[in-house]
Amino acid sequence: MQRILYLVQKEFRQIFRDRSMIAALFFVPFIQLVILGNAITTDVTNLDLIVTDLDRTPMSRTFIERFTTTEYFNLVEVEEDYQALRGHLDNGRAKLAIVIPKHFQRDIVTGRHPDVQALVDGIDGNSAGVALGYMARIAEQHQAQIIRMDPMLGRPLREARIVHAEPRYWFNPELESEVYIIPGIVALILLIITVFLTSMGIVREKEIGTLEQLLVTPIRSMQLILGKVIPFSILGFVEIVVAMGFIYVIFGIGVEGSLWLLFGESAIFILTTLGVGIFISTISETQQQALFVGWFFMIFAILLSGFFIPIANMPDVIQYLTYFNPLRYFMVILREIYLKGTPLHYLLPETLAMAGFGVAVFSAAVMRYRRIIK
Amino acid sequence: MQNDFAHEVANQRQTDPDLAVSARELTKRFGRFTAVDGISFDVRRGEIFGFLGANGAGKTTAIRMFCGLLPPTAGEAQVAGYDVRTQPRMIKQTIGYMSQKFSLYEDLTVAQNIEFYGGIYGLTRPQIEHKTGLLLDELNLRDRRDTLTQSLPLGWKQRLALSVSLLHDPSIIFLDEPTGGVDPISRRNFWRIIYEIADSGKTVFVTTHYMDEAEYCGRLSIMYQGRIIEIGTPGGLKEKYGLDTMQDIFVHLVGGDTRKEAKQ
Repeated sequence: MQRILYLVQKEFRQIFRDRSMIAALFFVPFIQLVILGNAITTDVTNLDLIVTDLDRTPMSRTFIERFTTTEYFNLVEVEEDYQALRGHLDNGRAKLAIVIPKHFQRDIVTGRHPDVQALVDGIDGNSAGVALGYMARIAEQHQAQIIRMDPMLGRPLREARIVHAEPRYWFNPELESEVYIIPGIVALILLIITVFLTSMGIVREKEIGTLEQLLVTPIRSMQLILGKVIPFSILGFVEIVVAMGFIYVIFGIGVEGSLWLLFGESAIFILTTLGVGIFISTISETQQQALFVGWFFMIFAILLSGFFIPIANMPDVIQYLTYFNPLRYFMVILREIYLKGTPLHYLLPETLAMAGFGVAVFSAAVMRYRRIIK
Repeated sequence: MQNDFAHEVANQRQTDPDLAVSARELTKRFGRFTAVDGISFDVRRGEIFGFLGANGAGKTTAIRMFCGLLPPTAGEAQVAGYDVRTQPRMIKQTIGYMSQKFSLYEDLTVAQNIEFYGGIYGLTRPQIEHKTGLLLDELNLRDRRDTLTQSLPLGWKQRLALSVSLLHDPSIIFLDEPTGGVDPISRRNFWRIIYEIADSGKTVFVTTHYMDEAEYCGRLSIMYQGRIIEIGTPGGLKEKYGLDTMQDIFVHLVGGDTRKEAKQ
């Protein structure tokens, strides 16, 4: 026990000797949150819009106004020539074009359905879908308002009801993707810190020869492992707290659920990442190798976690693969606790899967480590 | 060394208390390559015993087996009466070890290195403080106590590393090419300390490929391709072959092919 304390003390001294390390510990989560939180967004705002108004009536103008008064669209031009629209979409001047047909107003007044055409640049399929969604909603709101406002129009339609489903999104009412992305960043920070620090910390001692020196002391290999794992776990938790602080300050998002549950789940999660770190150290002779292998692992873990790409959108084979990715479970758990305040008993399947992986990976890595250093 | 483990160590000595190291047909193979090929010898307590050989002769592999870092493929070896195969932890508590690689933490201060290794060897806080004071006085490093180890000159680093490996008062100390890369003056100073260590009753087991260091050893064995091809005192060997220096003996025994590796 005493030996472990000396190892932990030594590790912290080495970490805090390095001023850039301390800066990195605060700077990294800050940058990641600001950049990733704002850049990885599936929200669509300021979408460049071109309008061709073939009707030119008060009604068509109020319809256009509905688009220009939201932050979602940015009217770049009113194009008279219908034929020229395609060119604007091709050369990227606009992502979306709306064509209001002739007799738009007349058709509305006489109770016919005018068809408004929308042309969307589909290169970014995701944004295109979102843009169309916004558009449909604006058109629908417009209809509802016409019916309400115009008593003359309303009369023949009095009995008619426009039935439309209006989905209510709870927990993230604005459907802001930051809210969804940000708890995931906490997971990434924890993943990066624990995998890299553990693997590189052990390999560094291999490189400089101190590991060999430690091995000729009566220290046990388990003490040696704990001496690495304890300080890096503590750092991991410090990082979680720092990241949560930034999230609150920058994005105003606090933890809905139990903090203790969040910490407990994090502790289960880092069993896996520490295990991976130890494993990497057993197959790497230099810190560069450790870095390379670490990246290789992390890219897959992150891509297959549902962090950017919803797992449901992946091909079946890949979806099955994600079940072998502990980060997948942690993503769900973090989002649930962070945004919904979900209690443990709804998160049991994910928790158990993660714990299973953690115990298996950690013990396998430790066993391999003990065999290797013999 | 006043912890339980030390008592355990003291109670389990079995064989000839006069023998520090003994090897019988000790062999280590890596796949089809035989690094150490059936070596046998005894080292008495208080001796300065040298392992002379070119790079790749098997010196480091042999020393790693004695330190309990590497299990032998065949044969037997005892260090301080403990079997290298079954009692490596006992051996590790009893020996000191310093390798050709500089083994202190460069990013810790002198005092922090001493404290760390003291703690790892199971010394108590007061013991560590006491030892630190003694050691800093001995090495004349009192004013460098809080200096980062990386800023010390190489010769001092090695002396510090040696002192640190003696913190737990081992009865045998293994030095694997301890003076690599050090100038002859520092090397001679280093050997002065080795003599002091031996005078205090400890056994020194040292590997080297420097011929001048071979002259300093009380007794030495010459290794070639994993085998011990000669063993004796420097004086005895010179007499036997009628040659004046260890350099000549080494070249005579090993032949010209390794001359450039065995540095003057």
